[in-house]
Formats: sequence, structure tokens, C-alpha cells
Amino acid sequence: MTSIVDYLLNLLSFIEIDASLLLIFVILIPGIGLFLVMTVNAMVAVYMERKISAFMQDRLGPMEVGLFGFKGGKKFWGGIGQTIADAIKLLLKEDIVPNDADKKLMLLAPFVIFIGAFLTWIAIPLSENLVVSDFNIGIFYIIAMSSVGVIGIILAGWSSNNKWSLYGAMRAAAQIISYEIPIGLSLLLVVMVTGSLNLGDIVQWQADHRWFIVHSPFTFIAFFIYFISVLAETNRTPFDIPEAESELVAGWMTEYSGFKWAIFFLSEYANMLIVSIVASVVFLGGWLSPLTLFNIGIPDNWMFLDGPILGFFWVLIKAIFLIFVMMWFRWTFPRLRVDQLMYLCWKVFIPFALANLFFVSIWELIF
Amino acid sequence: MGTNLLSEYVNNIIYGIRTFLTGMGLTFKHFKNKKDLVATLQYPNEKWPIPERNIGFNEEDYNVIRSRLHVDIDDCIGCLQCEKACPVDCIKIDTLKPPKGSDYDCGKTSHDTQKKMIVPRFTIDMSECMYCDLCVHPCPEECIYMVGGPNEPKHEIDYEFSQYERHGLIFEFATSTEQDILDIGGETYLKERNEKAERRQKGEKLEGIVDSDASGTGNTEEPEKAKHKDPLLEIFNIVPDKAARGIAKKAIVFGKRSGFDFIKMSDEVESRITASGKTSSEMSTAIENLKNYKPIISDDVPSDDTKQVTGESEDKKGTQVSEPKSFGFNIKSLDFITDKMVRGIAKKTFMKCKRSKLDVNATIDAIITDLDANSKLDNETKETLLSFKTNNDTPSDPSLEENIKEDSVKEQTDVLFDIKLLNDIEDKMTRGSAKKIYMAGKRANKSSSEVVDDILNELSDKLDDKTKELIGGLK
Repeated sequence: MTSIVDYLLNLLSFIEIDASLLLIFVILIPGIGLFLVMTVNAMVAVYMERKISAFMQDRLGPMEVGLFGFKGGKKFWGGIGQTIADAIKLLLKEDIVPNDADKKLMLLAPFVIFIGAFLTWIAIPLSENLVVSDFNIGIFYIIAMSSVGVIGIILAGWSSNNKWSLYGAMRAAAQIISYEIPIGLSLLLVVMVTGSLNLGDIVQWQADHRWFIVHSPFTFIAFFIYFISVLAETNRTPFDIPEAESELVAGWMTEYSGFKWAIFFLSEYANMLIVSIVASVVFLGGWLSPLTLFNIGIPDNWMFLDGPILGFFWVLIKAIFLIFVMMWFRWTFPRLRVDQLMYLCWKVFIPFALANLFFVSIWELIF
Repeated sequence: MGTNLLSEYVNNIIYGIRTFLTGMGLTFKHFKNKKDLVATLQYPNEKWPIPERNIGFNEEDYNVIRSRLHVDIDDCIGCLQCEKACPVDCIKIDTLKPPKGSDYDCGKTSHDTQKKMIVPRFTIDMSECMYCDLCVHPCPEECIYMVGGPNEPKHEIDYEFSQYERHGLIFEFATSTEQDILDIGGETYLKERNEKAERRQKGEKLEGIVDSDASGTGNTEEPEKAKHKDPLLEIFNIVPDKAARGIAKKAIVFGKRSGFDFIKMSDEVESRITASGKTSSEMSTAIENLKNYKPIISDDVPSDDTKQVTGESEDKKGTQVSEPKSFGFNIKSLDFITDKMVRGIAKKTFMKCKRSKLDVNATIDAIITDLDANSKLDNETKETLLSFKTNNDTPSDPSLEENIKEDSVKEQTDVLFDIKLLNDIEDKMTRGSAKKIYMAGKRANKSSSEVVDDILNELSDKLDDKTKELIGGLK
């Protein structure tokens, strides 16, 4: 498995170019690419979120803003340009900083959170060979980097000098750190089976054997533990107590506006996509076609559906389905209390994940 | 006990999963069945049906209703009664008559009235309409009315006629096609209408009318210039040759200093120009213009008219030529003194007073005393100097002073001598009487000599010889 960085290095090594200049190119090109992916993802996800929310509440959602004169139909594509208009509005808004806020930290916080999301993206494979840098410790790196954002959240909550911000930040920190444990344990189970931390190896293992979600009953449970835990990690409903709007206005984002708030939003939706892609790569076969899973006999001239080019397509389909489920959860479940949240983590997920780990090792010994 | 707890724990989890699935199923049902369940109404595009209502009497039994105006244009005879009645001018109607002798049939109304003209335009601006109903009553054919209510059979009620853009509220009721207008011989009307529409489309109407002459600004600037520039010198601006222009202008300035009139001045210019050999056709026309020059403001230049004024006031006005802004007393005012020595002393004193920032009256007093000390002060000089004094110095009698102030404007243009000249009369009583007579004479528009005669006659027993001489000198 090669990565984008390797590919660029190979490509540019033919040209006689200074090493430092080469490094800048190799860093900048994937960097800009990742930023674009994050931006587009935020735009699409926000629109999806609004539309799905509206449909589940028997509303229509945004219906007025078209895109390049295309106003869409009566239903899903009705307000296709709405997020672009919202993004422009956000960037033009006044950047309000409270008088008593710690201005330097307040400016720093959104960038720390953004850096956390951005660094995580480096190890996220979008398809076979379509990863910025192919670490051999890929999963470990992703878990490590996705916790960097907690620093930014605490910075934001503290520097805002607002009780809601501080409450939100403290809740978020407690929640994210707690839920790192079940996430780690459920991923550890997969690592134990494959014997590799590299995401490419994990997908290859699934190609050789079967998808992890259907590998054994324990990996099946592990997938749900992982998925529910990442909901808490990304502060999605029903675990959105850090920004519970009915209690804390907007939690640690209360005092933010304009561009900084847009960065928070960008990072939040980037994190959603990250955890969905990790779930789909680790448990749902990554870039493998789901058609092979059900052993559907497809004609030979349809085999392109299973080819390597479509890997990106399958990863995206799986990730978007998971994001849809996240949004589906949002409008189904009421928010948990703080004690319920901790109960769920420490008394349900962690024991189950540990038991899983134990039983899956026995399962592997037997089969 | 322990088994109980464990079973409770497991049951709890199973219950949780079951309710989880139930909840997910419920929301998904809403997600896919939204066509039937969706509650949103896209308001301007979709509208709820107006519910039937029952308030005890029929729609037709309303006396009057204030809703949207409507016109049955087939019944309109173009009488313009509604347009005239409208207090806010929101109805605009154009009519076209068929030319005499043509057999164009404009049709008949539903009341069997023969229409005499067609209506190519009938617009009602509902954004201006104030729903006063005043246009409805004058209509002889009852073709303009508010929809709904008693008119429900004619037109159903229109509760809401909101539009995306404001001009959507201008309702056009006329149905005449372009062919109709051409048939009735309204080519010019059609052309004008199209031009207007075109202009409106271009947005020309928004630019307003800009006057290319810019006469307004010119008018305000000219008098300003006249104050700073000598109109006499501007006569020669038509001469293209710069050197010749300079010579001519120098001659004019010279002539003005020497107190020449225009004829003399032009002669001077002509002689100088011929001497330098710079004659041209433009120059000769300019000289001709100068000869025939009539000053617009007589105060500006010493002309023949102003010379008739008494000597003192001529001097005063002469100073105003050079310094039009200072109407009072300055160093050039002393130029009237003919004796060089005397003038020098007077000017020195003036400068001294100016440095010590004395006011005009004090300055004049100082000059008079200085001249007196040098025994160079003659009567005429003293009088003229005193005439420069400001009103503050004028005498005691307050009623008189008021009169003077009232008439001070008139005085300047009048040929009558200055009332201040009477200040030289030493006896207070006599001065007051003299001023009274002066004012009376002024009101009767008498000339200087007449007023002086009056004063002399009436005050003959009170006057001493010196005063008589003084007053006589005013003639």
C-alpha cells in the first residue's frame, strides 16, 4: 500500500529539485487537498443534517436558496445552495471577543481543535493507496490525534470567561476522555485479531477472511460499542451534554462567532467523517465492495463495481450511511444526564469491551 | 441477591436495545412517510383554502367592503371620473379617441352605453391605494369596484395579493392590443409608450434631468468674480496678443489713477497701442467697447454720473474703487488731500494709530489734532476727515439717531449730502434743529442746495457767521 506522500516523492524525484522545496510541495499539496475535503464535507454534512432533521420532524428544511440557478425539486434538493450562503454569511460576520476574555487563548482554541482534526486526517485512508501518509501504527495515531481536540475545547471554555463555556468545556473533557477507553478497547480487539495497527493490513485481512462486523459475535458487539462511543467523542446527540442548548446555550462555543465559530463547525463535521471512515474501514470492510459480502453473483462485465477505483466510492457510501445513522440518532433519543452518560461508559461499555477482548482471544484460539 | 442484580442489569440492557429499535423505527417512519405528514406550507407558492364562514348574513348583504380594486374593463367608457376622484393618484388611465369621420366601433358596455374611446392603459397601483372607496362611487358604468362582499357575484374576494417585487402591485386592467391602438390611429401614442418603457428599462428616468447649460452655477459665480476683477480690464481679454493686452491694461490702470473718463481712457489706450505698433482688429473693437462702456454698478468706477455728486462723496467713492470691501476709512482715503506735505503727515499719523490699534474715530481725531499742531489743517480737509467717522460719533438725540440709521442705506445712493457733515455745528441745539430739517428735506426728496437753504432760512436767527459759512459750503 502506497500513500500520496510516497507517490508525490516518486513523481517529483524525476525532476531535479531542491530537497527543501520538494518537501514544501509534498506537504502543501495534500494539505490543501485535505482542507478542501474538510470544507466540502462540512458543507454537504450541514445540508444533509438540516434536511434529515427537517424530514424526521415532518418539515421541509431549507427550500429557497438555489445553486447556479438550479433550485432543485420540491423535496431533498430544494435549498441546495443554503450552506454556501451560510458559509459566506459566517465568514463576513463580526468576530466578537468579550472584554474579560483571555483574548490570546480564545484565538488559539479554534486552531488547536482544527489542528487536531487536520492531523487525524493524515492517516485516514479514503481508498486503497489514497491516504496522505500510510503509518504502520495508523489506528494508534488516529486515536492519539483525535484527543488533541480536547485541549482546544478546554482552552475555548476557559478563555471565554463564561460559566456556560466553562461548564461545557469541563463536561466535554470528562466525556471525551472517558469514552476514549471503550473506543480504544474495541479497536484493540480488531488489532489483536489482525496483528497489525496498519489500516491497509486490517482491510487486507478483511478481504482475505470476512468483514469484522460479521467475523464473530464479539466483533459485532465491538462495532456497536465503538460506534456509540464515537457519538460521545464527537459530542453528538444523545451525548451532546457539553453543548446542551437547553442548559448551556452552546457550551464551550457560546462566546464564539464568525470565522472562529466556523472553524469549530468545520472541525466538528470533520471529526464526524473521521470516525465514520474509521468505523467503515475497521469494521465494515473499508474499500471492499459490499456485494462480495453477500456473495451476490455479479456478471463479469459488472465487475468494475468491485474494482479498486471504486474503493473511494464504497468507503464514502459506508461513511455517509454511518453519518446518516448519527443524524437519525439525534432525532430519536433524548439527551442523557451526566450521570447516565458516565454510567453507560464505565458500567456498560468498558466491562463489555473487556469481556469482548477476553472472549475474542478464546474465539481466535478455537477457530 | 447477586443474581437479581445481574438479571436486572441484563434486563435493563435488553430493554434498552428494544426501546432503541422502537424509537429508531418511529423516526424512520417519519423520515420516509413525509409526503403525507409534512406540516410545512410553502406560503407564497401554496395557500390554505379559505375556510367557509358563517357570520349570520350573506356576503352580498355587506354594505361595503374594502378589499382589492377591480375593473371590468369591457364596461369602462374612459370618463376618467375614478382617476379624478382618487386622493392618492394611484389610478392612471390613458384614452384614445377614434379620429373624426372614422367608423371605428369602440363597442358597447353591459349597460348598453356606446363607448366613444378605447382605454389602452388602466393601471391601479395597489401599493398606493388607501382603500377609501372614493373611486367606486363616481363610476357611471359601475365597472370599478372592490372585489368580494356585495360584489361577490362579479368577482370573488382576494384576501392576499402580495408580490415578490413592488411593481407587481401595479395592476394593469386594460386589454387593448397594439393592433387595437393602431386601428384607432394611435401610432404616436404607441410610439411614445414604447419609448417610455424603453427609457424606464434603461433606468434613464432614475438619473433625473441634468441641465447641460449649468446656468444656475454660472449666475452665482459671476458677481463674485466682478468683485475681484475689474470689468474694464476684462474688455481687453478678447485681444489674443498678450503683449498688446498688457499695454492696454496698463493704460487703463493709469487712466483710472489719473481719474480719466472712458473716452479719455480709450484715447490713452489707443495712443499707447499705436505707439507700440500692436494694433489689431480685436484691439480696435475692444477700444470701441471701452468707449461705449457703461458701468453696471455705478459705485465701481468713477463715471460721469458719479461726478455730479458733491466733492466729498466723490472722494469717498473713489476710495471704494480701489478697496471695495472696506467701506470705512483706510490709508488710501487720505489721498484726497492735495498738498503733499499735509498728506504725508496725515498718513504717518494714520500708520501710528493703526499700529496702536485705535478705532477709526480715534484715528481721525488724532490726524486732525496732528494737522492742527502743524497748522496745516484747512476747513475742507477737516470736514472730509470728519465725514469718515462712523455713526457712533453721531449726536446725542436718540430719536434722530434712529432716523439716521433707518435712512442710512438710502443716503448712499441719494444725491443729498451726508448728515454727518452737520456734526460740525458746534451748538448742540442748532445741530439738532439742523438735522431735523435735513431729515424732513430728505423725506421730501429735496436736493442738497434746497436742504441747505431750508436750514439757513429756518435757523437764520440762531446761526452765527461761522456756522452759516459752513452750511453754505455744503451746497
